Amino acid sequence: MPNLPKVPLESWISDGVNWLTTHLSGLFNLMQRSGQSIMDGLTNGLTAIPTPLMIAGLTVIAILTTPKKYGFPLFTLIGLALIANQNLWSDLMSTVTLVIMASVISLVIGIPLGIITAKSPKTAAIVKPILDFMQTMPGFVYLIPAVAFFGIGVVPGVFASIIFALPPMVRMTDLGIRQVPVALVEAADSFGSTTWQKLIKLELPNARNTILAGVNQTIMLALSMVVTASMIGAPGLGRGVLSAVQRADVGSGFVNGLGLVILAIIIDRFTQKLNTKPGQKVATRPWRRWAILATALIMIGGGVVNAVTSQKSSGQKVNLGYVSWDSEVASTNVLAESLRQHGYDVTMTPLDNAVLWQSLANGQVDASVSAWLPYTHKALYDRYKNDISLLGPNLHGAKTGFVVPDYMKVNSIADLTNEANKTVTGIEPGAGEMITAQKTLDSYSNLKGWNLLSASSGAMATALDKAYKTKQDIVVTGWSPHWMFSKYKLKYLQDPKGTMGKNESINTITRKDLKKDNPKFEKVMDKFNWTKEDMESVMLDIQNGAKPKQAATKWLKSHQKLADSWYK
Amino acid sequence: MAKVEIKHLTKIFGKRPKAALKMVKQHKSKDEIVEKTGSTVGVYDINMSIDEGEIFVIMGLSGSGKSTLIRLLNRLIEPTQGQLFIDGEEITKFNKKQMLEIRRQKMSMVFQNFGLFPHRTLLENTEYGLEIQGVNKEERRKRAEHALDNAKLLSYKDQYPSQLSGGMQQRVGLARALTNDPDILLMDEAFSALDPLVRGEMQDELLELQANVQKTIIFITHDLNEALHIGDHIAIMKDGELQQIGTGEEILTHPANEYVKSFIGGVDRSKVLTAESIMIPALTTNIDVDGPTVALRKMADEEVSGLVAVNRKREMLGYLSSDEAAKARRNQTPLSQAVVQMPTVDLDTLVADIMPIIYDAQTPVAVVDANKHARGVIIRGSVLEALADTEGDETDA
Repeated sequence: MPNLPKVPLESWISDGVNWLTTHLSGLFNLMQRSGQSIMDGLTNGLTAIPTPLMIAGLTVIAILTTPKKYGFPLFTLIGLALIANQNLWSDLMSTVTLVIMASVISLVIGIPLGIITAKSPKTAAIVKPILDFMQTMPGFVYLIPAVAFFGIGVVPGVFASIIFALPPMVRMTDLGIRQVPVALVEAADSFGSTTWQKLIKLELPNARNTILAGVNQTIMLALSMVVTASMIGAPGLGRGVLSAVQRADVGSGFVNGLGLVILAIIIDRFTQKLNTKPGQKVATRPWRRWAILATALIMIGGGVVNAVTSQKSSGQKVNLGYVSWDSEVASTNVLAESLRQHGYDVTMTPLDNAVLWQSLANGQVDASVSAWLPYTHKALYDRYKNDISLLGPNLHGAKTGFVVPDYMKVNSIADLTNEANKTVTGIEPGAGEMITAQKTLDSYSNLKGWNLLSASSGAMATALDKAYKTKQDIVVTGWSPHWMFSKYKLKYLQDPKGTMGKNESINTITRKDLKKDNPKFEKVMDKFNWTKEDMESVMLDIQNGAKPKQAATKWLKSHQKLADSWYK
Repeated sequence: MAKVEIKHLTKIFGKRPKAALKMVKQHKSKDEIVEKTGSTVGVYDINMSIDEGEIFVIMGLSGSGKSTLIRLLNRLIEPTQGQLFIDGEEITKFNKKQMLEIRRQKMSMVFQNFGLFPHRTLLENTEYGLEIQGVNKEERRKRAEHALDNAKLLSYKDQYPSQLSGGMQQRVGLARALTNDPDILLMDEAFSALDPLVRGEMQDELLELQANVQKTIIFITHDLNEALHIGDHIAIMKDGELQQIGTGEEILTHPANEYVKSFIGGVDRSKVLTAESIMIPALTTNIDVDGPTVALRKMADEEVSGLVAVNRKREMLGYLSSDEAAKARRNQTPLSQAVVQMPTVDLDTLVADIMPIIYDAQTPVAVVDANKHARGVIIRGSVLEALADTEGDETDA
């Protein structure tokens, strides 16, 4: 449509969210703080229960609720034991907390709302389109305002999950109440029931199964949002899946995903057990109920005992943010392990790059060692430079650029014509390098018609590996230090215009008032530095199958002197 | 003073009741009104008064507005116009709270499909009315159990409705309505969903109950026989308007208009009706196969005193009475000797022509088709009915 100016929808929405963020910040902070403490309490409570006791308890409950059938209890036992065996127990508990919280809040909001929409056609006419909107909008979109309102962590994850999981609860409640036969409603009316009596004595009991089906769906949807929510720092199994996607690590992704599947099946079966047909005597003998209650109490008791007797790590809490690029996984793990050896209680939060800078700016993350300056993260630095402290480089000689296998003839960006289907294979769309890469495509005339493909750093590495093995052309957005340079023969393309940045350094950034709050830790962050070779050795270890934690510990053992120098 | 008094009660469904009302006054048809205004006339200008302790039956075909009318009485449906008095109080003026009281104290309702709550046991269903009034548990249990005991269902009190037959469920519905001890019982086609046998039983039970408790019962049905059987007064409705009110006798002998006449079948049947339309199904015994004991048992089951005897080819042979069959059993003789001749008529014989035959016959008259197969029998009662109708017409003329 020519001659019509574009409607500034984007800026309207941004302005609206900004207005909310500034004017309701008190409320949001309160919600964030109270939510965070409730969830932390819940997670701590769940993890305090010794794993074997919890597995046994849940298996016993499964046996009690499914008499004479052994499939489900056996599945519960084996599935949970497998999760524990893969060291995913604490992740599982974080996920359970998130799901419980999101589901409970969805129920508390959804059931009354469903009752209101069933009773009032006007409300239904307003609410139903909103529900449609909520359910079809991609879950990712909710993460953006969630971060703006609540920062990072589990609270925005719950917020996004609720928006996503609430609609079926409202719909099914509404449906259940509308489905109560007219004859029964008339009968209740003819005896002079008040609206309230009708609801409590007739409609809700009859709608019960439909409502429970809604509960089941809500829980499943909340569970499906776990992975998405982990992009903004929600802990749990989702994080494992997400970082596996970013590093193209099939095995770890599958194992984390399997954990989610097992959890989903167990929750699904347990919620389905609550369904009963009306007009049937529920054949639960009282002793079964008592036994279930007793089992739950034993589990909780075990948790309490465990919480009292176990030593809480009394170290200082610090929160390191990072992006799941291989380079940052290496550096952040090394730093975190080293800090732990010095008695700090370290939380590592993997985030999307833009979200990481934002969280540093609003003080939710203490520090990060993954700022590529002055070129790659220039845009983000310019945006947040007033709200963070830049402590300077921790690694020199980093470089970003277009990278090709050395069997390709081309040597300079200016010489590219139509290689590799005119495609540059990139990484996460929010990464700084992607911004510079796009700028490069725009400023070289020979790159007209080239595409920049966004994916993830892991997917990029996989694509490179595939092309390399079949000797095909490929152009990727590469950076050093990176293990791929030790694994393949690669070269940087010359960059006569310098749009991809010259040599850069990786820098340490912290939140604005860290120096005031925690000078000792700030000093460590300031001193932290190592070399490109150090980093690449750690990266290669991880690439060859070591866990990041193991690789970090190994490096620290052999570089004790350097590591000690950070604390002087 | 009448227990229930209805004055000019009207209900129009839809969005433009005023326009529809205008058209009703001009005697436009229902279809035309829907066409023009999109509104449906539920009931129009109903006037009637119902005395204490009578069974007042409202009849009509489906769509005649009878179910709407009964729901207007306890205001499950709000009337568009008109007044409704119960014990002299105008309840059309009552607010919501007063209306709740009326429903709790004075009126109870029984529904065509029982309207039992599937998630509650019989006892919980029966005590529902008292429960919502806040009666304490022991008291309401006692009264509910008493009502169930009267309905001979006390031993089932902890069962759920889905575990019972239709007749039992409806007895629970009735017990539930009676537990409140209402003055007025509204019954909306209460027995229509039951099979004919159970239906007859329930009608008798209702009459017996009425003899004991003396409630005002407003009973809706589309079945003339049911109305004649239980009604003290009968009102006939068509398209939302009242056609006639009277006792069963009055309606049968002096139908107010053509519609009522056709409704009660009040035309000179003997000149138009054929044997086929007044015959009852023939109950047969195949005497090539059945023995006297089987035949007697059939009679006992069907509550008749004779059967039409047929052979293997289903051809009509004659009449087998219970006396003859019993004789044959005593004397060990085959049934074929016990069969007596019976008069036959064709399917399209007129009733008027059947009358002389039936007066002379010792047995029912068999109606046979061209293949000599018995299609039905005509008994004296059916002809008497036809006769009564014609006599009624003559007194009219």
